[in-house]
Amino acid sequence: MHSILQRGNSILAYALSVLACLTFICFASTVLLNYVTDAKMNTVKVVVKNVPDYSASRERNDLGFLTFDLTTNLTGLFNWNVKQLFLYLTAEYKTENNELNQVVLWDKIILRGENAVLDFKNMNTKYYFWDDGNGLIANKNITLTLSYNIIPNAGLLPNIFAKGRHSFKFPMEYTTTRM
Amino acid sequence: MDLSSIFPTHMDYEGQARAEKLSRIILTLFGAVGLIWGYIIQQFSQTVYILGAGFVLTSLLTIPPWPLYRRKPLNWQPAKNPDNTHKETTKKGKKK
Repeated sequence: MHSILQRGNSILAYALSVLACLTFICFASTVLLNYVTDAKMNTVKVVVKNVPDYSASRERNDLGFLTFDLTTNLTGLFNWNVKQLFLYLTAEYKTENNELNQVVLWDKIILRGENAVLDFKNMNTKYYFWDDGNGLIANKNITLTLSYNIIPNAGLLPNIFAKGRHSFKFPMEYTTTRM
Repeated sequence: MDLSSIFPTHMDYEGQARAEKLSRIILTLFGAVGLIWGYIIQQFSQTVYILGAGFVLTSLLTIPPWPLYRRKPLNWQPAKNPDNTHKETTKKGKKK
């Protein structure tokens, strides 16, 4: 503490220690919160095509097209340790090839301060719904679920499944016309 | 000429102790107030800004060697003439 540099160093080090302590308190105050919320989903239009998958094997694989409704209120998830939410909509189904298939169809980032009351009608998916074979045609049980990552200031990166799911079936025939 | 001889930078021992104690108190206080305020409005950034304000205030109050920290300088013995001391030691040596 004798010279100016020593005093500056000491104050900076102590200020950073206090900051680390405050950050830990912020983490500890939110680590036990329950972030599960409700979400309502519905599918509007569902068709399936059989087209060559040039991004993979060039074989003809099933490609699903669907539009969906999504209603949820995520406002309550935001607190002082949440910077943003990463939402994603997953389709889960079972085929002869695989016991469990999971395909992410759509995602969205909601920054803190943005509107977190979602009411989407007839939304298109963002990503292709490819199956790795012919597992979509006449599939009777495809389940849509909404999940989200909570991106915090400090601490864990929880991955949460919203309550509420929607099951639908694909049609028995391929659609050949352009959409 | 050396800058440190124009602008003295040192504090006396008690001044150093006061400066350190004061810096700890101010930083802890701003940290606690920032934490409470940030929790109330649920904005952790405000907590960080308040702590930053505390850091600036502490820097202004305790880094420069204000006169407050220099009230009790050490009482050094006055410097003696180097020639005299030399003679004294030689005298002592002769006596023995």
